[in-house]
Amino acid sequence: MASPTQHVAQTVPGENSSFPLLVLLAGWLIPGGGHFLLGKWVRGLLLFAAILIMYVTGLALSGKVYVPNTGDLLDMLGFVGQLGTGLLYVLARVFGWGATSVITALGDYGTKFLTVGGLLNIIAAVDAHSLANGRKASL
Amino acid sequence: MLTHFSAALIFALCISVVFGITQRSAPKLMIRFGALCFVLLVGAVIAASWAMFLIKR
Repeated sequence: MASPTQHVAQTVPGENSSFPLLVLLAGWLIPGGGHFLLGKWVRGLLLFAAILIMYVTGLALSGKVYVPNTGDLLDMLGFVGQLGTGLLYVLARVFGWGATSVITALGDYGTKFLTVGGLLNIIAAVDAHSLANGRKASL
Repeated sequence: MLTHFSAALIFALCISVVFGITQRSAPKLMIRFGALCFVLLVGAVIAASWAMFLIKR
């Protein structure tokens, strides 16, 4: 019987490779990108479509695109959430898409769409990372 | 133009797709879990809507 001080050496396939990190990065920058790298085309496409629809709907509803360093804690949290959309967030900032403040109730909905879309993309990227390093079964 | 309800449906659908794919390993289980998430989210919206309607009355 193993004592509490003994450690069981358990290796996870791909743990020491930089590929899982690349998959995580790709999944963050492009929704579904991590799954594309792993050859999971259908899953990647579904994730891409779901997150893109969230993003486009958020912009169509005049959702607010958060910027860093406004001094408001909720704004900072919103920024972190929306940053999860990766390059889509960069595009919104570069082209000035979205609103700078919420005016209508639907605009508030749009802001939630943008923020939740970013959070979902982070979940998808972490899932791709787990598939790449073998922590999640690849069926 | 989207209504509140159609926006909630799109929101539930997208979340269900991502949850289904990321929280289960086998394709069949993904579809089942995604469908469950969708039903629960839309069900919660309808229940909350009726609750607000009754509170207002």
